[in-house]
Amino acid sequence: MQGVFSQVAVMGSSGMLLCAMIVLWRRGVAAYISAFMWQSVVLGALTAAVGYFGNDPQLYVVAVLLFGIKAVAIPKLLRRVSQRFTAGRESAPYVNTATSLVVSGLLVLLAYAAARPLEAVADAPTRAGMPLAMGLLFISLFIIISRKLAITQVIGFLMLENAIALLAVLATYGVPLIVELGVFLDALMGFLVMQIFLYDIHGTFSTTDVDVLERLKH
Amino acid sequence: MKAALLLTGLLAPWAVSAALSALLRGSPRLAGRLTAAAGALSLGAAAAIWFVVLGGEVLVAGPGDLFRADALSALVAGCIAAVSGLAMLPWAGIGKDQADRDRARVFRIFGSLFTLAMLVAVTINNVALMWVAIEATTIVSAILIPLHRSKASVEASWKYILIGSVGIALAFAGTVLAYFDFVSLLGRRHDALNWTLLMDVAPTLHPDVLRLAFVFLLVGYGTKAGLAPMHTWLPDAHSEAPAPLSAMMSGVLLAVAQYAIIRWKAVVDAAGGPAFTNQVLMALGLLSIGIGALSLVRQQNYKRLLAYSSVEHSGLICLGLTFGPAGVFASLLHLLNHALAKSMSFLLAGRVLARYSSAEVDRVSGLVRTMPATGPLFAAGMLALMGLPPFGLFLSEFLLFRAGFTSGHPVATSAAMLLAGVGFVGLAGHLARMLHGPGPDGVAAGERDWWMLAPLAVSVVAMIALGLLLPDTVARLLGRIAEAMSI
Repeated sequence: MQGVFSQVAVMGSSGMLLCAMIVLWRRGVAAYISAFMWQSVVLGALTAAVGYFGNDPQLYVVAVLLFGIKAVAIPKLLRRVSQRFTAGRESAPYVNTATSLVVSGLLVLLAYAAARPLEAVADAPTRAGMPLAMGLLFISLFIIISRKLAITQVIGFLMLENAIALLAVLATYGVPLIVELGVFLDALMGFLVMQIFLYDIHGTFSTTDVDVLERLKH
Repeated sequence: MKAALLLTGLLAPWAVSAALSALLRGSPRLAGRLTAAAGALSLGAAAAIWFVVLGGEVLVAGPGDLFRADALSALVAGCIAAVSGLAMLPWAGIGKDQADRDRARVFRIFGSLFTLAMLVAVTINNVALMWVAIEATTIVSAILIPLHRSKASVEASWKYILIGSVGIALAFAGTVLAYFDFVSLLGRRHDALNWTLLMDVAPTLHPDVLRLAFVFLLVGYGTKAGLAPMHTWLPDAHSEAPAPLSAMMSGVLLAVAQYAIIRWKAVVDAAGGPAFTNQVLMALGLLSIGIGALSLVRQQNYKRLLAYSSVEHSGLICLGLTFGPAGVFASLLHLLNHALAKSMSFLLAGRVLARYSSAEVDRVSGLVRTMPATGPLFAAGMLALMGLPPFGLFLSEFLLFRAGFTSGHPVATSAAMLLAGVGFVGLAGHLARMLHGPGPDGVAAGERDWWMLAPLAVSVVAMIALGLLLPDTVARLLGRIAEAMSI
C-alpha cells in the first residue's frame, strides 16, 4: 500500500513537471493552455489520491475546488483571452527552445540539491515527489522570465501556484482548510485582475508582447 | 471582550466604508464623509490598542484566537490607520464631472479594502492567513494603479501585479516549508500556523529546513518590501499610481511586508540563532540602500525620486534589524518616521503634479512662490527623507548607525552611511532646483483648498516631535518589541 502511494506521488509530480516543459518546448499559446489544464487535472487527481491514501477527507474538497477552478474555469477564460488576441504564438522568446530545455534540466538538478534538507526530515511516503515539486517551482519561474507574451507569463504564474500546491500536498498532505480556502480566493481574484490587465494591455498597446512595456525605465 | 471591541473598532470601519462606498453611488459627498469618519474611528481604535499594549497586555480575540495584537502589531497598525486615514480624505476632490466622481468612488471602495487587508495582515495570528491578507493587498491595490488609464500606468500595473504575485507566491512556498517542518515533528494541527505556537516550538524545529524556508520568505516578502534586487516594480508602481495610493503603498504597504519579515526572522532565529538571517538581511539591506541612493542621483522625475527613496529606506530598516536589540529599536522607529514622511511627501507631490501637469523635476521651479503652503511643506517632507534634523528620520538613522557600530559591524555601517550620504546629495540637488527660481509661464500662483493641508501640517509637527523628544509612549512600545525580538 505504502509502495503504491509513493509511486503515485512520484508519477503525478513527474507528470506535472512534464506539462511545464511543454510550455518551454512548444510555441503556440493554445498548447500552453492545454498543458496547464492537464497539469491541473493531474494535481487534482493527486490531491484526491493523497486524501485517499492519507485518510484525509478534507482533501477531496480541495481536489474538487482545484478541478473546478484550475482545470475548468481558468483554462476556459484563458482560451477566451487568447482567441481575442490574434497573435497566439510565442514567436521569439528571450531564451530559445533548446537552451530552455537544457536550463530546465539543470533546474531540476538544482531542485534535488535544494530539497535535501527536506527529504532528511520527511518520513511521509510522498517525500520522493518533493524535489520534483521544487523543480516545477523553478521551471515555472523560468517560464515567467524567459517568455515574452503577457499571457504566457500568466500561465507561468499559474503553474507556479500549482507547484506550491503540489509541494503542500506532498509535504504536509495540504495546509489547513481555512488557509486553503483563502489561497483559492486570492488565486481566483488575482487571475481575474490579471485577465483585466491583459485586455488593458491589448487595448492600449494593440499587442500583448511585453517587449512594448518599456516606457518606464530607471 | 475589550480585545474583541478594540480589534473590531480597528478593522470594521474599513469594511463598512468599502460597502457603503459601493452602495451610495448617488451621493458621493456623503460617501466621502463616511470614509473619512471610518478612518478617524479606526485611528482611534489603533491609538487605544497602542496604549493597552504599552501596559504589557496582548490582545487576543476571535474563534481559535484568530486575531492577536502585540506591540509590533500595534506599531504597524497605528502607522496604517494614520496614513490610510490621511490618504482616504477626499484628495481628488468630489470632482466636477461624472468620470471624476466614478474614479473617486472606485478609489474609496478599493482603498478601503486595501487598508482593511493591511490591517488584517498585521493583527492576524495565523502566518498563512497573514500571507492571504498580504496577497490580497497586491490584488486590490493593482486595480487602483491604472485609475487614470495611460500607457505608463497600464505598464506599471502589469509589472506590479506580475512581479508582486510571483514574489508573494514564493513567500507562500516558504510558509509551506515551515509548516512542513512543524508537521513532521508535532503532527497536523489546525493551529500549527499560529504565530504564538510557532514561536513556542521554534527551538525544537530543524534549522536547516527553516533556513531554506526563510530564503523563500525573504525573497517573497522582500519583493513586497521593495528590497533590491526584487524592487524593479516599485518605482513604476509608486510613480504611476494616484498620489493617495502611492502614499499608502510607499508609507505603509512596505511596512506590512517588513512586519512579515520581522515575524519570520524571530521564528528562524529561535530555531537556529540569528547568524544566517542577519547575513542575508544585511546583504539585501545594503544592496537596497545602494541601488536606492544611486538612483536618486540620476532620477529626473520627482515621484520616482520618492519611490527610490523608499527602496533606500526599506534597505535601512532591513539593515537595522541585524544590529541587535538597539538596531531593532532604531529600525522600527525608522519605519514609523518613514511612514509619516513618505505618505506626506507623496500627497504633496500629487498637488504639485496637479498644478504643474508634469512629474519632471526640470519642469517644476519656483515652487515656494507658486504654491506658498504646499512648497514649504513639500520641502519639509524631502528634508526629513534626507535624514536632516530636527526630523524623526535623523534620529532613527543616527540610532541605527550607532547600533551598527556598537554591535560590531563597522564596515557594513560605514558603507550604509556613505551610500545614505550619496542619496542625500542626490535629493538635495533636485529639491533645490524645484523650490527656487521663477515659476514657469502658464502655471497659476496661489494656493487652493487650504484646509487640505492642515492634516499634513500635523504630520510635520509629529515628525519634529519624534526627532526632538522621542515621546515616552513611542520609546516604550519600541523597547517592548526590541525586547521580544532578542532571544
